[in-house]
Amino acid sequence: MSTFTKEMVEEYADKLLIGLTEEESDMVLSEFDTIDKNIDIINTIPNIEQVEPMSFCLDDFEVDLREDEIEESIKIEELLQNCDEVSDREIEVTKVVG
Amino acid sequence: MSYMDKSIKEIHKDLVQKKVSSQELIDESIKKSHEIQEKYNAFVTILDGAKPKEVTEELISGIPFGVKDNYSTKGILSTGSSNTLRDYIPFFNATSIENLLNKGAIIVNKTVLDEFGMGGTGTTGHTGIVKNPWNPLHMCAGSSAGSACAVAAGVYPYATGSDTGDSIRKPAAYCGIVGYKPTYGMISRYGLFPFASSLDHCGVLTRNVEDAAIVVNAMKGKDKNDMTTWDSSKIDLTKSLYENAKGKKLAYIKELCNIEYYKNADETLKKHLENFKNTLSICKELGIEVEEISIDEKLLNAIASTYVVISCAEATSNMSNLTGIIFGPREEGKNYVEMIKNYRTKNFSPLIKRRFVIGSYVLQKENKDRYFFNAQRVRRLLVDEWKKAFQKYDAIILPVGTGPAPLLKESKDVIDENTKALEEHLQVGNFGGFPSITIPNGFINNLPVGVNITGNCYEDEKVLNIAYQLENKMNYKNQIAKENNDEI
Repeated sequence: MSTFTKEMVEEYADKLLIGLTEEESDMVLSEFDTIDKNIDIINTIPNIEQVEPMSFCLDDFEVDLREDEIEESIKIEELLQNCDEVSDREIEVTKVVG
Repeated sequence: MSYMDKSIKEIHKDLVQKKVSSQELIDESIKKSHEIQEKYNAFVTILDGAKPKEVTEELISGIPFGVKDNYSTKGILSTGSSNTLRDYIPFFNATSIENLLNKGAIIVNKTVLDEFGMGGTGTTGHTGIVKNPWNPLHMCAGSSAGSACAVAAGVYPYATGSDTGDSIRKPAAYCGIVGYKPTYGMISRYGLFPFASSLDHCGVLTRNVEDAAIVVNAMKGKDKNDMTTWDSSKIDLTKSLYENAKGKKLAYIKELCNIEYYKNADETLKKHLENFKNTLSICKELGIEVEEISIDEKLLNAIASTYVVISCAEATSNMSNLTGIIFGPREEGKNYVEMIKNYRTKNFSPLIKRRFVIGSYVLQKENKDRYFFNAQRVRRLLVDEWKKAFQKYDAIILPVGTGPAPLLKESKDVIDENTKALEEHLQVGNFGGFPSITIPNGFINNLPVGVNITGNCYEDEKVLNIAYQLENKMNYKNQIAKENNDEI
């Protein structure tokens, strides 16, 4: 008996604004126990509570803050070229308020 | 006479002596691109109108190359092999590409990858599967599948790749060529479509180690647009290549390399590990000391899980800008949330959706410590083990994968319960940001296999030196794929 349900899987996807088709939902659900079991291997490593999580590979890295200088920016017309719906120099979206 | 199957230095020499022109090189490369596209489906875009450039003292000037389609290229379609960006044309170049172009290199095509780099088979790009040029029934591996295929087939001397788990180094092995990712931060990631930012590396696929060093020399450099880059201006990666490797020390991990650790090992795995041991003998002939080390199997078996958790979690935040509103093909909806959801639902492939679901699952409040933070803890333990080895050894040498390229019909992107640490160990190179190179070291069942050398951060020169010397002592340097359809 799986510990996961279709609703749970769909909720995980929905939180990322992704919808799953019936087929996709079934595929993910059918594999989720295996996926969960596999990633749980991490928790078989003993005494990891005291280990500092590693989020970046270079532990000796120093970041220099760059000078606060004004630079030439890309032309708005150029930026809008990849947008499907544009009105003058603005991106058009479906009405949000009222 | 063909040029695109030669090394960069050989081509450069003939360009300087005017035995060939940049235009002739482009013509040859474009012609081969179309032939290879027909046979193996390696490209998203072929730039038929590519223009020649002046030949200067820069070794790569006037010479064509390929770009993986997750690098932004100004004015050239850049899709990440995803339907979500099937019409996206960047208004800027990725810094590393800009660096190559400034030195006179010429882009002739954009190569297919697994969607946004999130796959290891070369079968999930939106333009279809990439076939292996040694045998089209087999995969190239991924995600830099098109780049590996094209370089192996002799379309040009090099193509860029990116590597989050092993995406340069495994396709290199399956295609019988060289794949090199330098230390994290040596090459700027600005303009590379991000997958998992703490693991993503830029790099290159070539047919020999010297070319890899030449190209990364040209790609690298500190970049104000990528805060994780560091100053490598004093490093010339070609300099150390020619030094004698005698006295260098290599280690291999017995739990990964010794056949007795594999119950029911098949013939292919036996041959692969035997071949690896032969390579170790060649290292010894070069005067390199080779020793066996041991790492807790439990920890090695957690590599794949650690990778899945961290990469899927990081991917979920990196995909947040894919809305279809500012760029990408827009979808209809009653409001902007619905528009975004429709766009993602319709355009992400099922396999990538599954990875996002895993990422979402491990980041849920109730799971975050158990999965995400614990994966980051295991990441540190693994990196510490490798670094401990680097205190005594110049590099770790290991076989790539469990054998040659699997058949495409056996291709899967499922996180297998029985995934072997041998198949996934290259991911530690990404956990630690280590310089790591794969070179071809033989053939099994008429298909190429590779060996990997990985060193400590900032010690790229040592890794390249060992790889170059080893390559020269074997017979697989500069090989071009010859199609062989005989199944053994």
